[in-house]
Amino acid sequence: MSAVAVALEGKDVQHRYGARVGLRAVSFNLTAPGVVAIRGANGAGKSTLLRILAGLLRPSHGTTDFRVSGEAISPPSRPRWVGYAGPELAFYPEFSAAENLQFAAETRGLADPDASVRTALERVGLQSRASDQVAALSSGMLQRLALAFALLHDPPVLLLDEPGSHLDEEGKAGFEDLVARERGRRLVVIATNEEREWSLAERWIELQGRGLGDPA
Amino acid sequence: MPSDGLNSRAAVWAILRKECRSEWRTRYGLNASLLFALTSLTGVSFAVGRLSDRTDILSALLWIVLLFSALASLSHTFVREVEGRTLTLLRLVASPTAIGLGKLLFNLLFLLVIEVVTVPLFLTLMAAPGPRWPAFLGVLGAGSVALAAAATVVGAIISQTRGRGALFAGAAFPVLLPVLAAAVSGTRAQWSGGAVGPELRLLCAYAVALLAASLLLYDHLWED
Repeated sequence: MSAVAVALEGKDVQHRYGARVGLRAVSFNLTAPGVVAIRGANGAGKSTLLRILAGLLRPSHGTTDFRVSGEAISPPSRPRWVGYAGPELAFYPEFSAAENLQFAAETRGLADPDASVRTALERVGLQSRASDQVAALSSGMLQRLALAFALLHDPPVLLLDEPGSHLDEEGKAGFEDLVARERGRRLVVIATNEEREWSLAERWIELQGRGLGDPA
Repeated sequence: MPSDGLNSRAAVWAILRKECRSEWRTRYGLNASLLFALTSLTGVSFAVGRLSDRTDILSALLWIVLLFSALASLSHTFVREVEGRTLTLLRLVASPTAIGLGKLLFNLLFLLVIEVVTVPLFLTLMAAPGPRWPAFLGVLGAGSVALAAAATVVGAIISQTRGRGALFAGAAFPVLLPVLAAAVSGTRAQWSGGAVGPELRLLCAYAVALLAASLLLYDHLWED
């Protein structure tokens, strides 16, 4: 896939969870391709910002503008254009890894779901466990499955929340290879406090919250 | 590359297939629903014997058994996604409307399976008079669509709340009452030889209104 022109702009984006501040005001302007790291203390709003960018959460204040080839993409349509992997992403435990991805591929209406699932599993090194039930997978394998889910539909933007968590050394090296391959093709946004993952980025967004969800 | 899958027919069918496969593997609702129908009908038939001359009681009993045997599962299709934390996955691959329609179709199918087992059992154990089949099936079909639509949309709303269990009863009661009243009245009318047209029209209109309200609502359910 050649890089698709993607622009992602945030103006004064903030979010509150009731009385708590989930994300203090942040503004940014990102374009594809490239790798961006979001960092900040626990509770500063890294995951909240990724959920807002993915169209899963409406910010309490401020706006985000997401454009693909110049065309504005509304928040409800964003999941078509982004691949999201994060701690809150869970899979159906009664299905196998491949069946979960197959469901996602069919629901997304991909042209060849079988091939998409096979390719995604191969890219994260999970092909040998494709038919294992999700309930039987380790947390590291679930993390790989989440990455495969994000890559499944070959999106121009990857939003990865703590992507290295639970991965073993081989998994982390595999993730770094994946980012190295994708940096020239997509916009990869990584929310992390891991120094090894920061160093993959060429741009950074620093969140200024005091952490643990500021009290009002 | 991203496809046009969101909000499409393919997404609705994929969600319906996923629900069927999940139910088949876990038997979350089917076994409990069939057990309820079987035990309640057997218990009533032992206690009061045959009720062939009491079509008013028969009509109410049929819909009570259908309602309670199916409701626990119908109301939980969204709750399971929230409690299993799979709603994020679902929201990432399908539009809220496609999710709602897929769940509604599954609930209708679930209700149909319950009815295929429960209705013949009911007619046999209660020694119910032979129904006028077109009218009976018409009321049963329209009542089922209205019941599934009501349970699906109320289930979707309460899945976002904390006190889900308690809230469902309170929220569902006013929505389900017109369905139950019209369905019982229509079933009794077909046994007593009366016209079922008014009840059938009411059930159909109510089902259409619920479906239209659901389609408007689903897009706004998970905005925050």
